[in-house]
Amino acid sequence: MLAYMVRRLMWTPVLLLIVSIIVFVLGTYGPGDPVEVRLGQNYTPQAAERLREQLGLNDSPAVQWGRYVWDAIRGDFGDSYVFQGRSVGEILGPRLWVSAQLNIAAFTITLIFGVPLGFYAAKRQGTWRDPAVVLTSLALFALPVFIIAPFLIWLFALQLDWVPVSGWGGFFDKRIILPAATIGVPGIAVFTRLMRASTLDVLGQEYIRTARSKGLSEMVVNYRHIARNALIPIMTILGFTFAGLFAGSLITELIYGIPGVGRISLDSIFARDFPVITALVLIGATMLVFANLLIDFAYTIVDPRIRLQ
Amino acid sequence: MTGIGKLMHKSLFLGAAAAVMAAAVACGGSESSADPVVSASPTPVPTRASAPQIAPGLQDSTPLSGDNGGPRAGGRFTLVYSDPPTLDPHLVVDGTSFGVVVELFSGLVSLDKSLRIVPELAESWEVLEGGTVYKFRLRPGIKFSNGDPVTAQDFKWSLERAGRPETASAVAETYLGDIVGMQDLIDGDAGEASGIQVIDERNLRITIDAPKAYFLAKMTYPTAYVLNRKNVESGGNGWTDSPVGTGAFTLSEYRVGQRIRLARNENYWGRQAYLDEVFFNLSGGVSMAMYENDEIDITGVGLADLDRVNDPSEPLNRDLVDTPAQFGVQYIGFNVDKPPFDDPKFRQALNLAVDKELISSQVFADLFEPAFGIIPPDFPGFDPDLVGLRYDLDRAKQLLSESRYADAASRPRIVVTVPGSGGSPGLDVEVIADLWRQELGVNVEIQQVEWATYLQDLNRKRLQAWGGVAWQADYPDPQDFIDILFYSDTQGNRGNYSNARVDELIVQARTEQDIQERIKLYREAEQIIVEEAAWLPLWFDTERKALLKQRVQDYTFSQIAIPKFKDVWVTDAG
Repeated sequence: MLAYMVRRLMWTPVLLLIVSIIVFVLGTYGPGDPVEVRLGQNYTPQAAERLREQLGLNDSPAVQWGRYVWDAIRGDFGDSYVFQGRSVGEILGPRLWVSAQLNIAAFTITLIFGVPLGFYAAKRQGTWRDPAVVLTSLALFALPVFIIAPFLIWLFALQLDWVPVSGWGGFFDKRIILPAATIGVPGIAVFTRLMRASTLDVLGQEYIRTARSKGLSEMVVNYRHIARNALIPIMTILGFTFAGLFAGSLITELIYGIPGVGRISLDSIFARDFPVITALVLIGATMLVFANLLIDFAYTIVDPRIRLQ
Repeated sequence: MTGIGKLMHKSLFLGAAAAVMAAAVACGGSESSADPVVSASPTPVPTRASAPQIAPGLQDSTPLSGDNGGPRAGGRFTLVYSDPPTLDPHLVVDGTSFGVVVELFSGLVSLDKSLRIVPELAESWEVLEGGTVYKFRLRPGIKFSNGDPVTAQDFKWSLERAGRPETASAVAETYLGDIVGMQDLIDGDAGEASGIQVIDERNLRITIDAPKAYFLAKMTYPTAYVLNRKNVESGGNGWTDSPVGTGAFTLSEYRVGQRIRLARNENYWGRQAYLDEVFFNLSGGVSMAMYENDEIDITGVGLADLDRVNDPSEPLNRDLVDTPAQFGVQYIGFNVDKPPFDDPKFRQALNLAVDKELISSQVFADLFEPAFGIIPPDFPGFDPDLVGLRYDLDRAKQLLSESRYADAASRPRIVVTVPGSGGSPGLDVEVIADLWRQELGVNVEIQQVEWATYLQDLNRKRLQAWGGVAWQADYPDPQDFIDILFYSDTQGNRGNYSNARVDELIVQARTEQDIQERIKLYREAEQIIVEEAAWLPLWFDTERKALLKQRVQDYTFSQIAIPKFKDVWVTDAG
């Protein structure tokens, strides 16, 4: 399994190189120019020329790309075009950490509610509880962020005064609750439905009947036989969901005033701040790779029959 | 909006979009300037000199707690803001940066609350040799925030540093280019600017290339601020992390994306600031809700909340303040080199067919004032008697039929380009396009392109007609509108408008020393520009609403960034 992991990891740099080339090509040949956005209406051809020279944008794209890769290997992802004199690491580092904590909190909410609810619904199939659970979670799923967030702010911050309207105080600060719920709650529906379907599938399997006929307690059947098997398809979707959560937290971060990557990613695209954009894309790609690796690894834990090679 | 971002996204200018999402989408670039007060939210809190005047040069002693209800020292003022692209005054091109920099640094002269030029670090100046030489005398004993003395050498070094190619200031030419020798310095052909001479520690002589009356106004811009050489040279790229300045405040903390905290500068030359701290919250949020929850002291009011806060029974109503109109004008620009806009009659017809008064009242609930000229009300040079091309459908039809493009079949395709990222291109542009179609039978397509692309096309003068932006003043001089936008040979003239008489008037106005005469020249130029329909001027900004906590006193709303926090005090201080 170690060999498998190493092999997968060795592909990562290749993938990142390809991704960086795509970003560079799009940036070079796409419309819009970071220098002109920065100058705005102060644009003059001379001022633009000086700025291009200073930022190294007059070199050929291949040279720029080469320089970028060489610097990146040594851990230098360049300076932002917009935030003058500030490195990409300095700008993104703290924000990524904030977004990561928020998303982990949100993801925890999704899983803690989603998986057991799905399991519960499946076990109660045929009673009113099953459709009740599914409908409720679907209703929550259907609520867009820009409706649920102001509602939560109105109720918990303005009316009940339990938490401040906005701000960030870290993972263990109560201000994380509303934004984490805003991101996490809609996801509950996805995992409820998946877990429900998956559990129903497992429930119909012969080995469940066998397990019961062996006289195993319902508890053991539930957890060792049903839940563990039902979780395997969940694992697959889980990794992708987690990697995608970063994009999903954008609007939430804006509304709750969370200093995460949300706003900077949007702003950097509008301002053509390519060092920041490229770093964000590379981070996204890296996360996907590792999320997949983690899923593979998790398979072997949930189901010992699966071997990675 | 502090007015530096001259070219602004209309959605910000309009301040109509209340949703945070809209803000995010709208703030394309850093120059889509946001007011210091509300950058994170699109509800602008524009600003006015409504508070009482503080006499320039007033040098009281340190603030002490007033027992009689007067200003008292202490306390904190909190506002929502966004990350300034730079804190280096010489690199500032946007309102967000300006709003912070103006509190930390200063120059020879500054603007007071009525936007008059007043002494700052210079206690006086003389204008010599017919207006080409400015002799500044510095105040005695002025210091940087680290205690170093400020001398005439510091000014010479700073002004030259702003111009050096390695500084790569985008606006050095605009603001300092009039100084003799500066252009050579900017081009890298000279080591210093010969027009800046140090007479002695306290006296500085600046020679400019022609007697330009607006030179002093340009010296209020951060490009002309004084920096501490030791601080800049020892700090490398990151010197602005611990800047040494001459403003009323110093930077006590800057965490990118999170907060900026300013503290009182004990070495400030004038009366010390009252506030212990100004707290800029950079992480965003719904500013209206934060205001209601007492997390911030000021917020703009968007259209969505307007009815609620206008209701006298609503507690927030007590905090409601009027903020001044911005010095800006929204317009639809025409490229007069591109048919059919090369025929003045066609452009005039388009102007005359639009009933701006009707649109203003029916579409915008009178939030905008119809613009018939270029220079906004209250701005130096505003012409209250300018008639312009007012709604006259019959004349519009007649002019259209006289124009070279009377025949719809052979008329070139017309595309009005507006910036944006999906969503509505702007109600006014849509309504106007509709009017042209219905009343004149002129078909117009509206094309929406993303901000960076839009700017690129606009800078290349590739757009046939464009809308969705506003021109905002940078400094209080009509030159900033008429010269910069309509002189034949200027980058700001995006529509290639050219008129020999207008050029003549503009050149004459540049060096006219008598202010009344200058204004007359600009008004005559404006009259021609308007009658030739170089643009379709749309709206001037009008007063807006903001909410300001009652504990906050002497907060000044101003149209152009001025050092405002030094006068602010809070009643619950100390």
